[in-house]
Amino acid sequence: MNLNYSDEQQMLRDQIEKFCKSDYSFEKREAIIKSENGYDLNLWKMFSELGWLSLPFKEETGGLGYGPVELTILFEEFGKVLVVEPYLSTVVISGSILDNSNFGNKSKFIDTIISGEKHISLAYIESNQKFDHLSPSTIAIREGNNFIVNGMKSLVLNGSNADHIITSVMLDDEFALVLIDQGVSGYSLNSYSTVDGQTCAEIKLENVSVPSESIIAKGDDAINLLNEAINLATLCISAESIGCMTACYLKTVEYTKGRQQFDQPISNFQVLQHRMVDMFIETEMCKSLLYKAMLECDSNEATKFKSVSGLKSQIGTSGKFVSQQAVQLHGAMGVSEELLIGHYLKKLVAIDSLFGNSNHHLNKYILG
Amino acid sequence: MEISFTEKDLQFRDQVRSWIKNDYPAHIKQKQNNGKELSKQDIIDFHKALSAQGWMGYNWPAEYGGTGWSSTQIYIFQKEFGLAGCINILPFGVGMVGPVIYTFGNDEQKKRFLPNILNFDTWWCQGYSEPGSGSDLASLKTKAVKEGDHYIVNGSKTWTTLAQHADWIFCLVRTETTEKKQEGISFILIDMNTPGVEVEPIITIDGEHEVNAVFFADVRVPAENLIGEEGKGWTYAKFLLAHERFGIAVVGASIRQLNILKEVVSELNNPNLERKITELEINLNALEMMELRLLSDLENGGHPGAESSILKIRGTEIQQRLTELFVEASGEFALVYPGPHGHSDNHPSGPEHAAKSVSKFLNYRKTSIYGGSNEIQKNIISKYILGL
Repeated sequence: MNLNYSDEQQMLRDQIEKFCKSDYSFEKREAIIKSENGYDLNLWKMFSELGWLSLPFKEETGGLGYGPVELTILFEEFGKVLVVEPYLSTVVISGSILDNSNFGNKSKFIDTIISGEKHISLAYIESNQKFDHLSPSTIAIREGNNFIVNGMKSLVLNGSNADHIITSVMLDDEFALVLIDQGVSGYSLNSYSTVDGQTCAEIKLENVSVPSESIIAKGDDAINLLNEAINLATLCISAESIGCMTACYLKTVEYTKGRQQFDQPISNFQVLQHRMVDMFIETEMCKSLLYKAMLECDSNEATKFKSVSGLKSQIGTSGKFVSQQAVQLHGAMGVSEELLIGHYLKKLVAIDSLFGNSNHHLNKYILG
Repeated sequence: MEISFTEKDLQFRDQVRSWIKNDYPAHIKQKQNNGKELSKQDIIDFHKALSAQGWMGYNWPAEYGGTGWSSTQIYIFQKEFGLAGCINILPFGVGMVGPVIYTFGNDEQKKRFLPNILNFDTWWCQGYSEPGSGSDLASLKTKAVKEGDHYIVNGSKTWTTLAQHADWIFCLVRTETTEKKQEGISFILIDMNTPGVEVEPIITIDGEHEVNAVFFADVRVPAENLIGEEGKGWTYAKFLLAHERFGIAVVGASIRQLNILKEVVSELNNPNLERKITELEINLNALEMMELRLLSDLENGGHPGAESSILKIRGTEIQQRLTELFVEASGEFALVYPGPHGHSDNHPSGPEHAAKSVSKFLNYRKTSIYGGSNEIQKNIISKYILGL
């Protein structure tokens, strides 16, 4: 048994940590959020050059063939400075679906992800679905060699930047995933900000004609691809939230040491010390659940989905606890938009809502 | 990263399981299965059986007659015993005073005391807390004054677990009044049969007699019973507390209790309670992995220190929560005061576990208080990890 990171993994962490510390200041992040794309194209190019965009892809498709451990390292570091670049939607989710599929054209699309040229997003959420994403009301009907897609997709992460969307549809009464190019006739889009400073879109598909070779997968294959991708993404954002929680308690410790009230640093007060200890313990316990889920990624289906549900359920409540305490201990500074600390709270609220909140995953854990 | 144990460790685990299955004293197992109270002799029999197997010194180096096991083996051993519901190995001899003696004692003391710990011929108890000295242990007042080749001990100790059965007590005593209160403390071993030693029971809220007050009136203790140097007792005490903390997560026993609780609740059709149990299960999963992380650190050359306070805090919170949920599962029948051991033969109908559940719930309030209260553990994390 060895739960330590390998030298190679440690090097990866050092590299990402160095980037986050030197190239991702709060001011820079604010500017990126306000920019037209909502992410920094130069940084994205840099991610590509550093090899980060190829991390999870299989070696035969041009990737580094890394697993969940390396991805969680990246997300934990990203979480510490709240990186907004759309790594999750393009590389993790769309990347995982394509890489694990038998889709004929996948190499071409994966190449453009790895090179940083293109973004691909998953469009699988519709309104009134209540977490059941396997019976979309978006329909694809065959017409000659093509099929015609009609439907409405919500909460498409990074949707406005996506060159292609992987769309869930019902095709011949079967669940299917198809690749649709942005801007084809009948494709319209409405973009929104998310609470954590990223963007998502509503995408309307009206009589969109798609060639049949754009079908990525159908039936059980498609369902498995979707479930695997969402499970991996859930693991990643859990790691991200641990990065947030770590930053929360460290920054709170630092702040209380410097903040003078009643003629002394407020870190002298035991009631605050114990609160910070609670924040630390909560973070370490979540990290332990992350280890469990990460190491059980190769286990059978039931085990791996269950351990991710346990993790995500805990992350939801712990993340909010830790970031709310961080805000509380910063006093009114904590609720200021100009201070990073409140943005961790926003991120952790966003993470709880993504891919099923704490309550949802607790139910899933019970049933699983 | 690699979560699985080596083939060798798995073989070791099987060996532990096989001993529990085949060699754990049958009369004790029978009593436990039937919810009967265990006698002093049962507890001695259990420890003697462990000795016969050569496992009493499970956490000791081989040179002092211990098993010389790796940290992983110790972990597996403790976890399996917990999972199987074995009697707790009494920590006072093998876990506490033993390591102090072989680390700081002289050869004569090692020869005199260590074998009796390993074959359980001596039942030890711990003389630390005093009526005025709990979390602020270093404020202790029990005095030992040197008179020729003896120390004359006066004062009292309290919350002394199972002192009513003990043959010997290891004590922190004040041998000098110094400006820094930690500096005048010494570590001394006292025969409970020495004239002037009195034990008085303290009954806890579960009706049990588990802890005691111990009084010392002009007790003459041979100077050769002093461990290490006079005035260095605080150093030894801290060493001992560090020993006591490891393994305090009691993950194995809590997993066992959780499984029993699930079984009890499965018949109640109570989704609300089931959710609470699931939340607890997730917390327990986290604790289990937390312990493995520290074990891995230890096995790979690290020196986890204050992190073990997390194990104490969360381990005891989970133990206590389990007892709370057992009480909740008892419904209205939690009303009945069970008396000592929850073994009253005259309890009303209702769930079989009810009386025992209330008893244990009351008894387990101690867990967040002993071994350095959970608030003290938070002080430790605050100081040594967060740097506050």
